[in-house]
Amino acid sequence: MLSQFATLAEAAAPTLDERNSMVSTDGARVPVEQSPRRDGDLLLTGRAEYLDDLEPAGTLHAAILRSPHPHARIRAVDPEAARRCRGVRAVVTGAEALDLVGPLPHSFDPGDVGGRTAVVRVLAVDEVRFVGDPVAVVVADSTANAEAALDAIRVDYEALPAVVEFEQAMAESAPRVFGDWADNVLLRLPYSVGDAEAALARSPYVLKEEFRIQRYQAAPLEPRGYLADWAASGKLTVYASTQNPHLLRTNLARIFDLREDRIRVVATRLGGAFGHKFAGYPEEALVCLLSRMVGAPVKWVESREEALLVGAREFATELAVGFDSTGRILAIKGELVGNVGCLSTWGGWPMVFPAGLIFPGPYHVPDCAINSVAVVTNKAPWGGARGYGKEASTLVLERAVDLIAERLGLDPVDVRMRNFVPPDAFPYWSMAKHLDSGDYPGALAKAVRLSGYHRQRVRQREARAEGRLLGVGVAFELTPEGADFAGSFARGYDTSTVRVSPAGGVTVLTGVTTPGTGNETSIAALVAREFGLPADAVSVVQGDTDACPLGFGNSSSRSLTAGGGAAVLAARTVRERMASAAAVLLDVPVGGLVFARGEIVSGDRRIGFAELADQVYRNAYAIPGLDDPLLEATMVERPLNSHYVPDEEGRTSGYPNYPYSAHVGVVEVDAETGRVELLEYTVIDDCGVRISPNFVAGQRYGAIVMGVGGALFEELPYDANGKPLAKTFKHYLVPRASDVLDIRLEHQVTPSPYTLLGTKGAGEGGVSGTVACLANAVNDALRPLGVRVHQMPLSAPRVLRAIRSAAGAA
Amino acid sequence: MIRTELRYHRPDTPGEASALLDDHAHDTVVLGGGTMLLPMMHRAEITARHVLDLRGLALDTVTEHAGHVEIGAMATYRHLLDSPMLARRVPLLPRMAAGITGGEQLRNLGTIGGSACFANPSSDVPAVLVALGATLRLHGPAGHRDVAAANFFHGAFTTDLADGEFLASLLVPHQRGRNGYHKLKLSEGSWPIVTAVATVDPERGTAEVTVGAAQAAPVRIDLTTLLGADGRLHLDSIDALVRDRIDDPWSDVLTDGAYRRVVAGVVARRAVIDLIGPNR
Repeated sequence: MLSQFATLAEAAAPTLDERNSMVSTDGARVPVEQSPRRDGDLLLTGRAEYLDDLEPAGTLHAAILRSPHPHARIRAVDPEAARRCRGVRAVVTGAEALDLVGPLPHSFDPGDVGGRTAVVRVLAVDEVRFVGDPVAVVVADSTANAEAALDAIRVDYEALPAVVEFEQAMAESAPRVFGDWADNVLLRLPYSVGDAEAALARSPYVLKEEFRIQRYQAAPLEPRGYLADWAASGKLTVYASTQNPHLLRTNLARIFDLREDRIRVVATRLGGAFGHKFAGYPEEALVCLLSRMVGAPVKWVESREEALLVGAREFATELAVGFDSTGRILAIKGELVGNVGCLSTWGGWPMVFPAGLIFPGPYHVPDCAINSVAVVTNKAPWGGARGYGKEASTLVLERAVDLIAERLGLDPVDVRMRNFVPPDAFPYWSMAKHLDSGDYPGALAKAVRLSGYHRQRVRQREARAEGRLLGVGVAFELTPEGADFAGSFARGYDTSTVRVSPAGGVTVLTGVTTPGTGNETSIAALVAREFGLPADAVSVVQGDTDACPLGFGNSSSRSLTAGGGAAVLAARTVRERMASAAAVLLDVPVGGLVFARGEIVSGDRRIGFAELADQVYRNAYAIPGLDDPLLEATMVERPLNSHYVPDEEGRTSGYPNYPYSAHVGVVEVDAETGRVELLEYTVIDDCGVRISPNFVAGQRYGAIVMGVGGALFEELPYDANGKPLAKTFKHYLVPRASDVLDIRLEHQVTPSPYTLLGTKGAGEGGVSGTVACLANAVNDALRPLGVRVHQMPLSAPRVLRAIRSAAGAA
Repeated sequence: MIRTELRYHRPDTPGEASALLDDHAHDTVVLGGGTMLLPMMHRAEITARHVLDLRGLALDTVTEHAGHVEIGAMATYRHLLDSPMLARRVPLLPRMAAGITGGEQLRNLGTIGGSACFANPSSDVPAVLVALGATLRLHGPAGHRDVAAANFFHGAFTTDLADGEFLASLLVPHQRGRNGYHKLKLSEGSWPIVTAVATVDPERGTAEVTVGAAQAAPVRIDLTTLLGADGRLHLDSIDALVRDRIDDPWSDVLTDGAYRRVVAGVVARRAVIDLIGPNR
C-alpha cells in the first residue's frame, strides 16, 4: 500500500518524458473530450453579456477630452464651465489629478532594459504628445451629457513642433517628443550571433533591401471599457474588458497606494482582444478615481475613434543577406526601426523585442546581427496586437528568401528547404531563441502537396502567357510563443486551482483568462479527463481576482500550456488524494484504481465520484486512513524551455515555445486597378499537440484573415500634421467574409518536449505567415513587370502605382 | 452619444414637414434610414437640434406609372431588392442595391433617397440616378418641385435642396434595355472608389457613361464620338476620354484623386463591356 502510494506521489512530479504523455491513470490513452464551446449558444444568439451591458443602479458615465494637437504645451485648462453643464458630477484636469492619483506603472519599463523612460500620468499635465492624449475627464449622468460637457472645457494650447514619421524623428536636430531626452530613440536592442559583418564580406552574393510595414492594429469588434465602483467600505471593484485582471489590480494598487486585497478586478467576457486589451491604459485608473470622487459606479467605454488611435507594427527595415550560389544563406545583417508613437504605459512598444529576436527565423544562419530600434514620435502609442512584431520580421525574412530564389533562378521552396534547421538538430540555439522541436521541411513539403504547388506554377505560366498577373507565394512562419521575460509581468508560467466539492462539483480557478477563444472549454475537458468525468461536470472560473489564483491573464498564446497545464497538475494532485481515500473506503490497493465514467473502480469494487468526495469531507480523520480532506490543489506550470541566465556563450531565450506554419497562396493582380484577388490559400500548421482541434482551426482561420487584412487593406494613416485620419471602419478596412476564401488547413503535430501537454501555443500563428505569403505572392505576380512593392499594405492604389511605374519606365 | 438636446418631429403631412424645416432652417436634419446620420450625430460631426423623421409620411412605397416608377424617399435598399416590378422596369436599381456594403441590417434600414440627399461622392446612388435620368421630387413650403438628378448633385455633400425642402420621391424612367454597370472597391467593406453606368442606344446612335465617386459629383460622359460608322464602339479609346473628363478627382481617406482618375477610365470601359461584351 505504501509503495503504491509512493508510485502515485512520484507521478505528481513527472519526469520530462511523462510530462509529455497523454496517458491517464489506468495507463490507457484517453482522448480529451471535444465538447461544444461553452456559452456558444449565448454568443450565437446575441445573449452574451459584455462590459457595456453592465449598468449597476446609479452608474455614471465618463468622457475624455483629448488633445487635438500632436504636440503642444498646455498653458491653462479651465474646467469651470463644464462643471456647470447639465448632469455633470465632476470634471478633473491633469493638474488636479496630480494630487489625487500616482503615476501609471509601465507595463514594461524601457528604463529597466537600458532604454529611456518617462513618467506617465493619468491625464496630461504640462504637455500633450499625440492627438488623443487625455487632457481632462468628465463624469456625468449620461455619456451624452459627459461628452457635451467636454466642449465646455477650455484648453489654452501652445503648439510645439511635432515629429510624425520616424525619419523626421531621427533627423539631426529633430524636435524631441520628450524634451529631456537627447534624441527620440527609446531603445536599441542589438541581437547577434557569430560575425555577420565578416560573413557578409565573404558571401558570394549579397542582397540589400528595404521594407516597410504599416501602422495597423488589432481592431477587436468590442472596444475597451471599464466600470469602477469604489464602495464606501473602501473596497474598489473594477469590471474591465481587459486581458490582464491581476496585473490591472496590481497597477491600481500602485496608482492609488492601496493594497491589492482591497481591490477586486473582474475581467468581463471579451468580444475580441488580440493584445488591444493588455492592461496599462490611463482610463483604467480614471474610472476608479472618478468613482471615488463621486461615490457611484463610473463607466467608460472606448469609442471606435478612440480605439483606432492605438497603433502597432509600424516598422521600417533595412536588411543585407549574404548567400552562395546554391541559395544557402550565409549571413543576415539588419536594422529594424519601429515608430512606436509616443512612449506611454500601453502594452505595445515592447514588440520591438520579438521583432528583432525572431531572426533568422526557421533557418540555420550561423552569422546574424539585428539591431531593433524603438523610436518615439508624436503618433499615439502602440498597443498590443496579435503577431506582436513578428509579422514585421517574418515579412522581411520571407521576402528576402524569395529574392534570393529570384536572383539565383531557383524555386523559393527549394531555397527554404536548403536553409531550414533540420529536424534532427532540435533543441537548437538560434540567436536569442532556444527552439524546442520541429519538422520544418516536413511542414513545407505537406503545404507543397496540399496546395498543388507545382500545378499552381503551371497555371501561373499559362496565365502569364495570356498577360495575366498571377502570383504564387510561399512563406514559412516561426512564431515564438509563451513570452517569459523575467523581471517583467510578461511571464510564461501560470497558476490554477482545482477544487472538488462534497456533491462532486469540480471547479477550476485559473490565472489565465480567455479573449473569447474557448480556452475555458478546453481546460474543463482537460481536468474532466483526469477525473474520468464528462467535460460538462467541470466549471472554470477566470478573470476574477477575488476568486482566481494570481496569474497573467491572456497573452502570448500560453493559456493552455501554462494555465491548462497547471490545472492538469492540480487535478492530478487532488486525484491522488481521492485515490488514496477510495483505496481506504473500498479496501483495495491504490495502484489498481481507475477514474472513469464518473466512478473510481478497482476490480469489482467501485464508488461514485460524488460519493467519494462526500465521504472524504464527512468522514475525514474519523475513518483510519481517511486523513486528507483537502480536495483542492493549486499548482504552477512553468515553461521548462526558458533560459533566463546567459549560458557560456551569453545566450538567453525569453520564448519557450515555437509553433510554426507553412503557407502557399495564389493571387491574381488586376493590372488595371491594382486590386489583389485571393485565389487559393493553403496552410500547414504545427502548434504541437492540439487539445481542441476545432478551436485551433478557428484560431488559425481568424489569424489568416487578420493576416489578409494586414497584407491588403488595414492601415492607420496620419497626415503630415500628425493627425490620425481613420475614425471608423469605413476608413479602416478590415476584411469581411467575401474578402477571404476557403482556406485549406491541415496540421502536422510535433509535440513540445518541454510542456506538460506537448502544446506550443495556438493563438497567433498564421498572422505573420499570411502577411509574408501574400507579399511574396503579389510580388511574384508583378515579376514579369520588373517591379516590387516592399511597402505594406498591398492596397490597390499602391500596387497600381508600382505597375504604372513599370509601364512608365518601359 | 448624441451630445445636443434634440427635438424629435414626426409630421403627418408634407406641408407640416416643410414648415418645420423652414422654421428651423440650418438646425434640422431629416431622418431617413439613419445609417449615416445617426452615427455622425453620435460622433458629434452633425449637431442639429431638430430631427425630422419622415416616417409619418408614408413614403416607403415603390409604385409603377406609365413610363416611370416612383420610389418614395423612405424606400430602403431592401424595398428595391424585393420589388418584382423594379426588377422588370429598372433592373439597375436592385442590381445596385445588391452591392451596397453593410449587410442585411444596412440594406433593411438604408434608403436610396437618403443616400441621394447625403451626396457622399464615394457612394453608389448619385451616379446611378444620373445615369437613369431620374428626377428628384422635392417638397418645400410652396409644394413640389422636380429636379433632374443631373442638376441635383452640386458637389461633395451638397445638393439642390433649399431651405424648407426635403426629398419626397424619386421618379425613374423605365429602363430602355439594359445598362452596363461596374463598381470598384478596395475591399468588401470599402466605399465605392469609382462606379460607372454605361448606356448605348443603337437606334439613336448614342453612347454614354456616367461615372460616380471619381469626382465630387457624378460625371456624365458622352461616348458617341467613339461609335464607328459600323456601330462598333472603340473600347480602347474610352480610358483616355474618361480620364480627360475627370479633371478634379475626389480624394478621401481611402485613396487619393490620382488613383481615382486613373481607374475611372478602366471602370467606365468595364461598364461598357458589361453592356456590350468585349468584342463588340
